Amino acid sequence: MLSPRWRKVLRDVWLHKARTVLVVAAIAVGIVGAGAVLDTWSLVRRVTTAEFDASLPASATLLTDSIDQALLVRVRAMPALADAQARRTVTASVRTRNGSQAAMLFATDDFARNRVGVLKPEQGEWPPRDGSIVIESSSVEYSAVQLGDSLSTQFGDRDAAALRVSGITRDVGLAPGWMEHIVYAFVTQATLRQLGAPASLNELQILVKNRSMNREAVRRVAADVKSLVESTGRAVSDVAVPEPGRHVHAAQIGSLLFTQGAFGVLALLLSGILVVNLISAMLAGQLREIGIMKAIGARPAQIAAMYLAVALVLGLVASAIAIPIAAVIGRWYAQFTADLLNFDISGFAIPSSVILLQLGVGALLPVVAATIPVVKGSRIGVNDALRDLGISFTAGTSGAWLSKTGSIARPFLLSLRNAFRRRQRMALTLVTLSTGGAVYLGAVNLRAAIVASVDMLFAVQPFDMSVRLAEPHAPDSVEAVVRGVAGVARAEAWAGARAILRRNDGSVGDAFPIAAPPAATTLLVPRIVDGRWMLPSDTNALVVNRRLLSEEPTMMVGSRVTLLIAGMASEWTVVGAVETGPSLAAYAARETIAPMVGSGRVSAVVVSGSVNGAAADFELLQRLRSSLADAGFPIQSGQLMTQQRSVIEDHLLMVAGFLGSMSLLMIVVGGLGLASTMSLAVLERTREIGVMRAIGARHRSIVAIVQIEGLVIALLSWLVALPLSLPMSVILGRAFGRVMLEVPVILVPETSGVLVWLAVVVGVSVVACAWPAFRAMRVPVARALAYE
Amino acid sequence: MPTPMIVLDRVTKTYPGTAGPFTALADVSLSISSAEFVVVVGQSGSGKSTLLSLLAGIDRPSSGAVQVGGTRVDALSERAMSEWRGMAVGIVFQFFQLLPTLTSAENVMLPMDFARTWPSRERRDRAMSLLARLGVADQADKLPSTLSGGQQQRVAVARALANAPSVLLADEPTGNLDSKTAQSMLELLGSLAQEGQTVVMVTHERDAQRLASRTIQLADGRVVSETHA
Repeated sequence: MLSPRWRKVLRDVWLHKARTVLVVAAIAVGIVGAGAVLDTWSLVRRVTTAEFDASLPASATLLTDSIDQALLVRVRAMPALADAQARRTVTASVRTRNGSQAAMLFATDDFARNRVGVLKPEQGEWPPRDGSIVIESSSVEYSAVQLGDSLSTQFGDRDAAALRVSGITRDVGLAPGWMEHIVYAFVTQATLRQLGAPASLNELQILVKNRSMNREAVRRVAADVKSLVESTGRAVSDVAVPEPGRHVHAAQIGSLLFTQGAFGVLALLLSGILVVNLISAMLAGQLREIGIMKAIGARPAQIAAMYLAVALVLGLVASAIAIPIAAVIGRWYAQFTADLLNFDISGFAIPSSVILLQLGVGALLPVVAATIPVVKGSRIGVNDALRDLGISFTAGTSGAWLSKTGSIARPFLLSLRNAFRRRQRMALTLVTLSTGGAVYLGAVNLRAAIVASVDMLFAVQPFDMSVRLAEPHAPDSVEAVVRGVAGVARAEAWAGARAILRRNDGSVGDAFPIAAPPAATTLLVPRIVDGRWMLPSDTNALVVNRRLLSEEPTMMVGSRVTLLIAGMASEWTVVGAVETGPSLAAYAARETIAPMVGSGRVSAVVVSGSVNGAAADFELLQRLRSSLADAGFPIQSGQLMTQQRSVIEDHLLMVAGFLGSMSLLMIVVGGLGLASTMSLAVLERTREIGVMRAIGARHRSIVAIVQIEGLVIALLSWLVALPLSLPMSVILGRAFGRVMLEVPVILVPETSGVLVWLAVVVGVSVVACAWPAFRAMRVPVARALAYE
Repeated sequence: MPTPMIVLDRVTKTYPGTAGPFTALADVSLSISSAEFVVVVGQSGSGKSTLLSLLAGIDRPSSGAVQVGGTRVDALSERAMSEWRGMAVGIVFQFFQLLPTLTSAENVMLPMDFARTWPSRERRDRAMSLLARLGVADQADKLPSTLSGGQQQRVAVARALANAPSVLLADEPTGNLDSKTAQSMLELLGSLAQEGQTVVMVTHERDAQRLASRTIQLADGRVVSETHA
């Protein structure tokens, strides 16, 4: 049987149900926020380490000429290598229910014995047979293809072939097809030949024996392989060494989860503040009873234990509610995150240690938050406790200036004064609400900054579409044909190459693309951040983008660098640095690059249309296709810049969206804080309310006094959030810039965001104060006056 | 001569105030024997309640010594004072001060719970026996809000006696009762004293002096008269 004091504890909790619900809700919201991110992290971490590692991702990929079995045998025999595989990647187009879509087809030397980048068959047949095609899992929904479909597949201007969709398989090493707007698929070399595409294998994927090697060590192994390949008379045009053991998007997702985890912890801390507020108020309401208990012999430790036990029980109840919700959100979010990484999360359970951690934090957070007010309350002198007269008001600074404002209506003045009566409580409520506001405004600013950055990215490329030719041709001839197509305003034939930096110590860096427009281009106008743009009079002048410069700091403006292009070393002068986005990129004059890679010929054309609009662009692209094909320049693929923009925006705005959702969580915590503050204010002032009603205050006056008090706090929090959003914008912008795309820091809060936030705090205040106001209105005068 | 139950030796209590320090008790010395029923009277502000607080160990003197049942109360630590209070004194308040969420029996069991004086299985029986002794056994399982003032005060007395304290202290126990109930309460306290319980009561009731073994009158924090029955 429970002893009387524990029965008192339980009955107090039950008696103050609304307050109990608020405390539980406050803790639960914090646990849901932090727990969901923790669950996600644990699930994603497991798949990105275990699953990705199990797929034996390529340690390095070398691009060379045709690879035959003899070369493969020699490479596989190298002592540092565990295995090697040859592959061919072909860009094609497929006609699906969603129209014509870009496709990337992969063929290897032996699908049956998948040695590197192991694929995970999910449905249908594996490996693909001649004449059939296996779709990569992340492209299935995007392309709307189904098993057994006949998929019209076309390489360049060759005749389309109908390939049977015979299976679905997952390649965890690929970025998701739906995100890249590409249909990834696997076919045999015979099928490539059937399509008229080059079928010889030209990518050498290697797997090092020592999987714990760092990137530099892998680079050295790759250099040895490159030497071996070159010793057979083949040229190696590209060596790509990814960060060992890390998925291509892992850094972004890790940073995203870290940022969100930080906000989850912040939500937890804010809910802790709310618990401090509520427990303090609960103790304030119980002071007389504490005094009585001490007078009849209760020790401070016994009193403290009673209230800390309440906090513990509430924490356990909140955890019991929040942990399953966090698990559901966490699993959903983990699946979403896994989709971004092209993993499948199903079959993974949230580790029990993670659940226990949430339970521990959920149970202990209110205990920790309550410790100081409880210890303080339990140590109060018996006399002080018994003499407690409830809330008082000493005219401090706020009272002084409010007294002088004679023109303010009395009820409004009362609301203003009431707001400042419990200053500590008000300050804590302000902290929760304004932190939510600062995160919200920071997320709005980040979103605006991202849009501005994407605008800038596309402003530097003022063309509407790009076309890739099936084979290189003389630039003048191609430009002449394109300029003759109706609706073309401007057109430029661009060359391009992939280059590798040879560092001074002889080591080589990762391959990066060089875009090569005419030196006098008008369709590429990047923002110069250092140095200058290239001039027609330049010789071997290179402009690098900031991302490349941050990867290879030796490529600073004014430096002389050695690049390996098409297997040949050449000397370049870096004349400028530009801002062109998150990918590695460099720029050189077509007149310099084209002779190096294609005997002066080019394979890409960028076009600006004379009529704006998606439909006009699409029609123009169709006309270009047929005109170029008629002129003997068949095209391999064409892409509208609007499509490319939507791909980039899909990636980037997703982050701002997630941050916005975290601010919503904080708004909920802030709203709960305001609701609790106002409930307690009404409870403490029941007698005052009774007096006001006894001297003639109407229901609406009472409601107005409560609502205005809430609005005063809400509007103050809105004001505080405005300056607070500036450092938040800087922090978010910098964090985003580190992992995704450098964005301008917007220091002036977006007007729309500020107004929306104002509407939100007013709405939150009205809702949060509705119940306290209703209660204040409903308390009978006699009971209110008798209230102690 | 029997050992005194309560000894106050030159006790002074001063409170700080905005208009300067206020002396509630000034150099008071007092000795109360076991089983005495002492009534303390005086006007508001004379120091009656302060005297009771010092005896109950819920306040400390600014100077002097307070000894109750052989214990130097003013020398105890906070923790020791709480423990001592639970064991050695029972307090009856003017406004009953029953915990509203506990039944009458539970209110009586609470001091035993804090002080662990009776085994938990015996606490309810003891509470019931005390309530029966005070004539409110039939109210044992009711919440205080459903009881009359007199019934609540009887439950409060039962609670004060829960741990069989050496001293029962009552602060205006009849101040919130009608005259008939107040009279009954005074008789109850008188009968407890006759049974050997030391009782110190602060009151305005003139009738109380008739039942008391001694009446101490305070004025401006000093003992101005002592009347033995």
